[in-house]
Amino acid sequence: MASLGSSSSSATEYTVRVPKNTTKKYSIMAFNAGDKVNCSTWTQARMERDMSARRMYGEEEMPEGAAGSEFGKKQREEARRKKFGIVTREFKVEDQPWILKVNGKAGKRFKGQKKGGVTENASYYIFTQCPDGAFEAFPVHGWYNFTPLAKHRTLTAEEAEEEWGRRNKVVNHFSIMLQRRLREQERGEEEEDETEKAGKKKKKKGGGRGGDLRIHDLEDDLDMSSDDSDSSMGEDGEGKSKAKKEKEAKGKAKKKKRKSSENEAMEDSDDGDYEGLEVDYMSDESSSEEEPEKAKPSKGEEHPKGIDEASESEEESEEEKQNEEEAKEEDEEEDGKKTPVQMEKKKKKDSSGESDSSDDSDIEGEAASALFMVKKRTPPKRGGGRGSGGSSRTGSRPGTPSIDSAATSNTLRAAANKLEQGKRQPQGPGTDTPAAKRLKMEPSSQSPAPSGKSTPQPQSGKSTPSSSDVQLTEEAVRRYLIRKPMTTKDLLKKFQTKRTGLSSEQTVNVLAQILKRLNPERKNVNDKMHFYLTE
Amino acid sequence: MSEKGEVDLTGAKQNTGVWLVKVPKYLSQQWAKATGRGEVGKLRICKNQGKAEVSFTLNEELTAIDGMADKKVQAPREHPFTMQTVGGQTLAVFTETSSGEHKIALEGVVVQRAECRPAVSESYMKLKRIQIEESSKPVRLSQQLEKAVTNNYKPVANHAYNLEYERKKKEEGKRARADKQQVLDMLFSAFEKHQYYNIKDLVDITKQPVIYLKEILRDIGIYNVKGTHKNTWELKPEYRHYQGEEKTDD
Repeated sequence: MASLGSSSSSATEYTVRVPKNTTKKYSIMAFNAGDKVNCSTWTQARMERDMSARRMYGEEEMPEGAAGSEFGKKQREEARRKKFGIVTREFKVEDQPWILKVNGKAGKRFKGQKKGGVTENASYYIFTQCPDGAFEAFPVHGWYNFTPLAKHRTLTAEEAEEEWGRRNKVVNHFSIMLQRRLREQERGEEEEDETEKAGKKKKKKGGGRGGDLRIHDLEDDLDMSSDDSDSSMGEDGEGKSKAKKEKEAKGKAKKKKRKSSENEAMEDSDDGDYEGLEVDYMSDESSSEEEPEKAKPSKGEEHPKGIDEASESEEESEEEKQNEEEAKEEDEEEDGKKTPVQMEKKKKKDSSGESDSSDDSDIEGEAASALFMVKKRTPPKRGGGRGSGGSSRTGSRPGTPSIDSAATSNTLRAAANKLEQGKRQPQGPGTDTPAAKRLKMEPSSQSPAPSGKSTPQPQSGKSTPSSSDVQLTEEAVRRYLIRKPMTTKDLLKKFQTKRTGLSSEQTVNVLAQILKRLNPERKNVNDKMHFYLTE
Repeated sequence: MSEKGEVDLTGAKQNTGVWLVKVPKYLSQQWAKATGRGEVGKLRICKNQGKAEVSFTLNEELTAIDGMADKKVQAPREHPFTMQTVGGQTLAVFTETSSGEHKIALEGVVVQRAECRPAVSESYMKLKRIQIEESSKPVRLSQQLEKAVTNNYKPVANHAYNLEYERKKKEEGKRARADKQQVLDMLFSAFEKHQYYNIKDLVDITKQPVIYLKEILRDIGIYNVKGTHKNTWELKPEYRHYQGEEKTDD
């Protein structure tokens, strides 16, 4: 290399060589800027051609020779292809994409597709500097664009079509995949269960599946949302990130799984009861989304009195809350399509202009949670845990159709029923009510999920009302009061007799006791005494 | 074979930096003609007040372009490089050994991109002009012939073909009915190879008149429409001896 001295510039010369007989073929591996790939961090990598495009000869053809074959079939087929001008592209190994796996099983995967037209008009050369200072230039034989492969499950074309049709109804898109995962888990679980359980499950599943898919989702969602809300309440509140939701969803999925296995044994004759409950809702709501629910109306009638009223009150409260909660619902991961549907229903209710004097958020929260709870219960199988919990509760409340996990309905009634069931039934991990946010406001005991955990009897230490959508417990009251100041009247409204199953006198008494215990702070607003708690 | 697919990551770990240079076609052609160790030219890097100027000078002996020696066109010698950044993109270079082993190795990462441009000169312009002329010639050409082509008339009946046809007919004559048992043997051996046959194919194989053959086939075989296009003959179930079938006969 000769160096030329110059005052303002320095130049160095290097020899350029183009090695002739290299056995190596150079190619470019191009990554997208956004993927932030740093090759030096790779500890181990494997790369192979993706041969999935190769169609084995005779794959689709009839057996060759002997049985099943025709004389001269191949020639005829070829002649036919030529006649129609069908040209099958030759499979060139060189042009197939690469599959790159970095850092083993847990690492990233990339697919490298060959970019065409690179070597047509200009050639690319790789200049590397040799130890002796000269440059060596190698021609580039191929350019492959590597894109990361998604490890998470994606929808197949059919599933995507399905979802596309539902896109106007689904508000919470995040939970679509979660639902699928849970469904798969459910299926997996069932296979493992013993026959008795299997029988039950089938029943549940049959019921649930027989209904609208959404129902199941709802149930799941309901279950999940409570979990969700409970767990996430402290953390994010409404602004959960998707990632977080996913994680939570996974956690919940596991919980659900466990729950289902736990609860499956408990579910027993929930089908009929459940369905009945939902019917009530349906009759009240004009939702046309749940077709299967219509089938259940008859059953709904059987349900004890309170349900109608309960659902009505729920509806009212829900309406106001819908707008608020919609946002929250969307955040919830578990909410399946059902939830969004429910939300929409709620919206409809709102827009219908029904004004409600009920407290805004609280009642809505209640209703919402009830709704979600119902939803959660419905998913046929996933909910195995939750729904079954509800159904098992039935025992404690004879004559009340137990909420069949399978028969979830979007209606408020169903939700209310489920809540009731849920409360009676001990829920496993607590949680899953979709109305996570709402649950925040509501006393945990009111959500079926959390209450589910306890025995069929209302949680000890709390108020006793029999299973109902909203339990009048200290916890519930506490939550209301923490959230916002309320008058006694408001509180009473919250714990409507139809929902709690208590008579008004009982309600008053219990409420009074609770207030004594809680000893909330008082303040006068609008000439009315409001109670509130700060924590 | 355990090594197959394993990527040698030494280049990546060392973070070997390489340049990706886009080179014009004619230049790469010239480089292909390099002899000996493959020296093609010199690369000069000047650092002019912070800016690097890179230029490549082609070796003298490589400026002769094949096929154009008589036209006195030579490839230009000076080629400044335009340096470009890689951008956000990560470009890695990997190699495959083409012979036998197919080992894959990561050689390095591209740190600099460059485009090799010829310095504008008379010779380059000439070269380009010639290239354009060549490429603008149409691939297909209509040409007027002076004399009409007379050696492929279309006769009414193709003479050569006709003669061949007649000869064949004379030779074979009408197909003679062979012994029934012989025909059966032929049929069975044919059906051993394939299950379904077209009647024409069977006539071809057995060289029997169609009617006679059909009679025999009616005995031992069935004519099935089969749903698929052609109507084919196959042996009756009791005569079949394919794998998976138990009944055999004869």
